[in-house]
Amino acid sequence: MILEILIVLLKAIGVALGLLTTFAYMTLIERRLLGRFQMRQGPNRVGPLGLAQPLADAIKSIFKEDVNITLADKFVYWIAPLIAITMSLTAFGAIPAGPAGSLFGTDPWVFNLDIGLLFVLGVTSIGVYGIFLGGWASGSKYPLLGGLRASAQVISYELGMGLSVLGLLILVGSMNLLEIVKWQETNGWLILFQCVAFMTFFVSAFAETNRSPFDLPEAEQELVAGFLTEYSSIKWALFQMAEYVAMITAAAVMSTLFFGGYKGPNLEIAGFNIGNIPFIWLYAKIGLFLFVFIWVRATLPRMRYDKLMQFGWKFLFPVALLNTLGAAAFRGYLPNGSPWILGAISLVALLLIFVITSRSTTRPAPARASAGD
Amino acid sequence: MNMVVFVLLALLAIVGAFGVILWKNAIYSALSLVGTLLSLACIFVTLEAQFLASVQVIVYAGAIMVLFLFVIMLLNAQYPSDEVDPLEWVAPAAIAGGIVLAGAIAYTAFLFKAPKPLEEAAKALQGGTPGPVGETLFTKFLLPFEAVSLLLIVAVVGAVALVKREPEGKQVRETLEERATHTPEEVVA
Repeated sequence: MILEILIVLLKAIGVALGLLTTFAYMTLIERRLLGRFQMRQGPNRVGPLGLAQPLADAIKSIFKEDVNITLADKFVYWIAPLIAITMSLTAFGAIPAGPAGSLFGTDPWVFNLDIGLLFVLGVTSIGVYGIFLGGWASGSKYPLLGGLRASAQVISYELGMGLSVLGLLILVGSMNLLEIVKWQETNGWLILFQCVAFMTFFVSAFAETNRSPFDLPEAEQELVAGFLTEYSSIKWALFQMAEYVAMITAAAVMSTLFFGGYKGPNLEIAGFNIGNIPFIWLYAKIGLFLFVFIWVRATLPRMRYDKLMQFGWKFLFPVALLNTLGAAAFRGYLPNGSPWILGAISLVALLLIFVITSRSTTRPAPARASAGD
Repeated sequence: MNMVVFVLLALLAIVGAFGVILWKNAIYSALSLVGTLLSLACIFVTLEAQFLASVQVIVYAGAIMVLFLFVIMLLNAQYPSDEVDPLEWVAPAAIAGGIVLAGAIAYTAFLFKAPKPLEEAAKALQGGTPGPVGETLFTKFLLPFEAVSLLLIVAVVGAVALVKREPEGKQVRETLEERATHTPEEVVA
């Protein structure tokens, strides 16, 4: 009993340390990649290839002056970054990183719950308290506006996110993340059958993690730095950590739900199935998604706030609802039908959505000065 | 062990509930309510009702309380106002309602019958996973479930009706030009 608790504790500490190290290097990779996207070098001075940059940043932010805000609500101001980072670290514990018993005889996850997916959604929904309490407790206008934006945005997109996974749950018949991965092992990746749901989930994930192009809560042209304005030194760093860890968790959830989770290709090499090696496949998928997060940040400009809300409520929400209806109808009327039928319908629907919402069809062509005159 | 956990969680829930009514600052009250809701969710977990616990966290703590706090912050209403109360009958009515509710709870406490032993109940609930809960909800409790959803729709329609604007054309609205031609005295008046 005590040994079990000790193992779980060790795994939890391992996950937290791993996430924080990933966060530290994510900042470096992000800055280097953004540099590349913008045809410049990015930070490359500290250590070989700039690899010691995160260390330098950490030392800097710890020893920076922790500015004392007179108008701040001391207790809430202090606890807000802690809420943010605790919740984003906790959510990751539910993600299975390999088949049962593959980590030196123990299971490569911290806890395995029957309601796994709901747990992740619930914990991330508590995470928003950190941001908007921080905004309120700073006792100044711009942080308050940033906090209000964050809460409205996260609540709206939570709906789209929750609804997009419903169709998938109807197909799999379980909320347990391990069961979802096993279902994909036998039937194929869920992205094949639920591509519309993946699209809505993917977009919601950007809004949930306050990433560009939905980083309205910290829009610098309008709000200085939003909810972060009055935070300095290590408290500021905690908020940054929370944002990046939430991003890593979102990437892990997307890989687990739609891209086969910890399973790799079923290849036998020397009598050894390389698809069952824990960690590497999941981490490769997470890495891919993190790259996409950075890629999108470098590509798309920030949305306008009212457009963001409109998009969430009038587009994502109905589309996710229709997807759920489609999956339910499929299960109801064709209980033994192959999921490929649903996959084909989803693909057609996705293409239709792209065609209908494409700029060239929704916007009038720009008026040109006619060349003949 | 179970008892200790329950007592701790129950104490947390009660302390939070007292916090809701005792704090002078509405933000702190709302945060205390979040604490109470989270402790309740933990109690649900110890009772093997995982689905209920997670729904409690997602719906109440994660969405409804965020909206509460949103409104308090947006209207800057964290401190009690000393303006004249436009609805004077609300406070006595609330007190009367509270007394009736307390009486009802006391009455049911005397009618208490021991529920099924935990093992049996846990078996029926199958760990409170979404499947059995949904099945019970959509077979045995279908009518209450639909009644509640109807109630929510009525509430939503009511809210929309309250904020609905007059249709275009009937609206009497100042245009920007009209507003710009006001003299400062008019604006102050």
